[in-house]
Amino acid sequence: MSDDEEHYNPQSHKKLLQAISSRGNVQHIQRSTRDERQPVQDEFQLVKSSNASSSANVDEPRAVGLNDLVQILRTSSKHLDTGKKLKNVQSTKKVLQKPLEKPAADRIKRTIGYEGVSKKLGRWDAVVSKQRSAETQIFPIPSETIYVNTSAHAKPLKTSIKSDLAKELEESNQRLRELRKKQIGDMTDDKLLAQQERALLEKKLTRDELFARRKELAYLKMRESQKSAKARMQKKIKSKKYHKLQKRQKMLEQIKEFELLQKTNPEAALEKLEALEKSRVKERASLRHKNTGTWAKNLQVRAKYDREVRKDLAEQLAVSRQLTQKQHDSESEEDQESNTLKLDEQDKLLDNDPFNPWTKVKSKGKTNTNEEETDDPNWRKYWTERNETNKLLAQHREDIQELKETKKETKTAKTTPKAKKSSLKIKKAKVTVQNGWKVEKLSKDATLEEIFEQHGDILKEKVGKKLEKLRKQADKLKETPAKGKQLKKKKDALKNLKDLTFKNTKQRIEIDEPLNSEDIETKTGEINPKSNVSEEAEIVEKSSAVIESIDPTKVTTLNWTQASRGRLNDALGDGELEADFDEEDYTNADRQLTLTEAFEDDDIIADFNKDKEKDSELKNTELQLAMPGWGSWAGAGISAEVMERRNKRLLLKLAVPEKRRDENKDNLYINETSSKDTRSHLVSSVPFPFRSLADYEASIRAPIGRNFVPETAFRMLTRPAVITRKGQVIEPMDESELIKPDRRLRHIVDRRIKHLPKHKPLPPKAKIA
Amino acid sequence: MKVKMLSRNPDNYVRETKLQQHKVPRNYDPELHPLEGAREYVRALNATKLDRVFAKPFVCNLSGHRDGVSCFGKHPKMLSTLATGAYDGEVRIWDLANRCSSRNFVAHDGFVRGIAYARNGERFLTVGDDKTIKVWKSESPEVGEDEEPVNTILSRYILHGIAHNRKDNHFATCGEVCAIWDEKHNDPLKTLKWGVDTLHTISYNPVETNVLACCASDRSIILYDQREAQPLRKVVLTMKSNKLAWNPMEAFNFTVANEDCNLYTFDTRKLHTPLKVHFDHVSAVTDVDYSPTGKEFVTASYDKTIRIYQAHQSHSRDIYHTKRMQHVVCVSWSLDNRYIFSGSDEMNVRMWKANASEKLGVIRPRERANFNYQEALKAKYAAHPQIKRIARHRQVPRHVLNAQRKMRVVKEKDQIKEANVRKHSKKGTVPHVSEKKKHIIKEEV
Repeated sequence: MSDDEEHYNPQSHKKLLQAISSRGNVQHIQRSTRDERQPVQDEFQLVKSSNASSSANVDEPRAVGLNDLVQILRTSSKHLDTGKKLKNVQSTKKVLQKPLEKPAADRIKRTIGYEGVSKKLGRWDAVVSKQRSAETQIFPIPSETIYVNTSAHAKPLKTSIKSDLAKELEESNQRLRELRKKQIGDMTDDKLLAQQERALLEKKLTRDELFARRKELAYLKMRESQKSAKARMQKKIKSKKYHKLQKRQKMLEQIKEFELLQKTNPEAALEKLEALEKSRVKERASLRHKNTGTWAKNLQVRAKYDREVRKDLAEQLAVSRQLTQKQHDSESEEDQESNTLKLDEQDKLLDNDPFNPWTKVKSKGKTNTNEEETDDPNWRKYWTERNETNKLLAQHREDIQELKETKKETKTAKTTPKAKKSSLKIKKAKVTVQNGWKVEKLSKDATLEEIFEQHGDILKEKVGKKLEKLRKQADKLKETPAKGKQLKKKKDALKNLKDLTFKNTKQRIEIDEPLNSEDIETKTGEINPKSNVSEEAEIVEKSSAVIESIDPTKVTTLNWTQASRGRLNDALGDGELEADFDEEDYTNADRQLTLTEAFEDDDIIADFNKDKEKDSELKNTELQLAMPGWGSWAGAGISAEVMERRNKRLLLKLAVPEKRRDENKDNLYINETSSKDTRSHLVSSVPFPFRSLADYEASIRAPIGRNFVPETAFRMLTRPAVITRKGQVIEPMDESELIKPDRRLRHIVDRRIKHLPKHKPLPPKAKIA
Repeated sequence: MKVKMLSRNPDNYVRETKLQQHKVPRNYDPELHPLEGAREYVRALNATKLDRVFAKPFVCNLSGHRDGVSCFGKHPKMLSTLATGAYDGEVRIWDLANRCSSRNFVAHDGFVRGIAYARNGERFLTVGDDKTIKVWKSESPEVGEDEEPVNTILSRYILHGIAHNRKDNHFATCGEVCAIWDEKHNDPLKTLKWGVDTLHTISYNPVETNVLACCASDRSIILYDQREAQPLRKVVLTMKSNKLAWNPMEAFNFTVANEDCNLYTFDTRKLHTPLKVHFDHVSAVTDVDYSPTGKEFVTASYDKTIRIYQAHQSHSRDIYHTKRMQHVVCVSWSLDNRYIFSGSDEMNVRMWKANASEKLGVIRPRERANFNYQEALKAKYAAHPQIKRIARHRQVPRHVLNAQRKMRVVKEKDQIKEANVRKHSKKGTVPHVSEKKKHIIKEEV
């Protein structure tokens, strides 16, 4: 063959032609191959499916539908039924609901996720609150795991892990197995068995886990779908009329049910009635049947001209009147009864609790008797008291019984009811009233009709009571519907954390103020004595302003705090009143009480002013320093003139008092004798975490230095709040903290602190003489 | 001349054997120490004064960057290692013990936006303005070898920050979207998106490690869970939040540094009001970092100062500044709770003591006991005016002082105006809004 001779290959030619013809609709972008997992498909990587392009010339392969399957199944009689079933399934199957719109669905997902996370974060509440209240925190948080540096104590490697005993056991086992093999022909391989067992166990475990996981997922899914369904439902129905009709229908149904129940099961009927009543109350609370709605207002406009409209309005009002009317009626009926009952209950309350001091105070008769018998020793007093209360109780019980009896006698006597629940009632009667038996005996000769009637009466009574209760509740609801809603809204997410926090045993002062960066001059100006005094003065003024309007007890307490502040000052500098302290300490406990008693009918203001005058008295006087006979050595007969001159010379005239700072302020007393130098060092108000002056004083008064307390106490008192170690990384809180038991304390001081009695803080001074 | 002198009998104080306990020639009877209160007060006063005398927080300056420092990366295991990124794309690894940079290389074109060490500290990841995430080895390369990233991931979105999960191999980036990545894959596991705004900072919760939070430029803070397909919740403040830091000891608390000079501490479960508003800065707060004890946090600000706050107090306990320190961009608290690092615009990284007057170096037990005593005394008498005055006095730069005054005036003016408006309007129409609630616009579900 020569080179230019054309070698015709029909196949390749055909290929060529095809290639040329399909050149127009070839796709240059290749379908992307995914080598990494990708949650999002890039739109640029979407390629037209290959058969879509090629289907133009070839017969298009249709997707297989359900009908095709059914057709095929029909061909054989064996599968005819299955075909039908398939068809049925298709026709009866509900179409899935359209999913919620994306924003709404996302919102639901977000809320669910957030709930989950906040719940998970809530686990830390206890740990965090404990950490916050801890007296000393040590970082890094000591973990229970012990790390042993094995390389340091490396021993020659033991070749076998098994102990001697284990080896022996194994040997004996082996022997046993061999014996078995010989005797019984036991061919099981132990190793294989063990392996299988392990595999099984593992499999089981994973399966359980899987189940748990699936359950959890299903639960989440369910929550989501529930929420979405709810949202959908709420959205869907708009018609007011529909709701109205539905409600009415429900009411009717309920009434029917109620009637039926009344005949068969009266107790259930009672409950039903309650529910009905509740719904009625709700409707009433909604004020729908007044003439205040927009509908009614529109009608009012037209009512002038349209008779029909007037009629409608009247109907509406009538409904509302009816709703209210019914209530009044039933109320008036039961008011009297309830009143008497209430009184009884009150009596009972008063007498029932003989050991309650509050009720004791009210019942004066008893207290009198107690006072009479104060001579008795304690135990006797107790018994006499108890006997008496018992007597009173018994008497009261009798009274109550009598009352009940009379009530029952007014109605027809009670008989043995035959229903099941009636037996229950008899039991009750046994417990409460013994006379219940009597009534039964009487009722034996009553007719059946009477029995039923009476039973009905009892039921009615009960219903009445319930209704009253409901009414009260409804009233309450009406009063505070808005409040209830608010409360629900303000569900505190941090409640758990707040509940878990406990009071710090050792309070530290927290100063949360901006740093003073201003020039010192201005700053010192602020704390100079003048301003300080004015501050104090303000406090006093405030307290005294209250005097006129409020009872003296309050004033005395204020006075007391003032006095104790004086003591606080002493703790710092001038120890002049040191001796007085202890006495005051002893009397502190009952001081408040005695003061209030003492001031019951005193004129405090006058006393106060007297004090003030007394302070300035000294300055206003003239002191005669001359003593009788002094200077007149020569005896009598010195001229009066000379004497007078001498007396004048020796007369010490005290300076005219300076104007008091509190001169014209009636209710103000400024102590001017206190040292002015110390004033700038004194605290003017109780610092933050402390609630009372006493607490703060206690914290200040106890010394902590080595010179004043023993060494161990010193170490305990000066233990820092946070201890960190140099060169150690502090890891964040670990999950193991959640389940960790109380740490074994290594440090001796920590252990001592832990063993201290919890209820009282450290003794102010350990007395070691 | 008569010389008076004390003479003591050695029997009273010399031990007979070495094992015998020291005799304490002291009677603790309080009757005999009438002035103990006064003496302790004076001691407290002196301790406070000494505390201020020794308050020299500045430790050293680490210079080497050729542009402003933009971000820090803390090594999770080694205290002496710190990675810093700069505006010019350079990353430097510092050897803090020797106060020198041990390694430096240009990691990105443009800013280095974030550095995060992986869980075990063997690798670290950087993100930059060039839309790449680069993974680097922590060990420096052999002599003669080039600095090469272990892996470079091209992101489809702009990246503004990165954070690594503390317990597993996930890390998260923020930018246009919040993306959760696995270390082993080059594509994000998932991208979380809520709105179209830029997220400029991201932070993983160190305790509940699945939870993370972002700050967005639409002034919001967004919470995520790395397992969920959707974000969890969003709070919108009045101004943009610059950084967010989780409390490492209290899983549910986090603090954001805000553009309006304040910081806000939130409880994750109650986002509609912050737990605390932290004041005192006079310009935008740029960064915040918690101390590993979770008791305090440090903040950097555009006003050229660093402040330290107690986590549950609204005013700072200390302020650090130097003349040459410009706008502080990033700040971090060392993992041993002793030092603070600050990176600022003028290319320097500074190292400070977390406790300004703390003694560095070895402390003998007796010294330690004495320090403890002094601390206890200071705490005990903290409320006394003189002690408070000395302890809380700080010299601040003139511009800060002026700004403070100005802010005070503005605040007073606002208060007066509000009061006037309230006075002249119908009762109840101008409600009192607490300082906490004032800055929260809404909580989006």
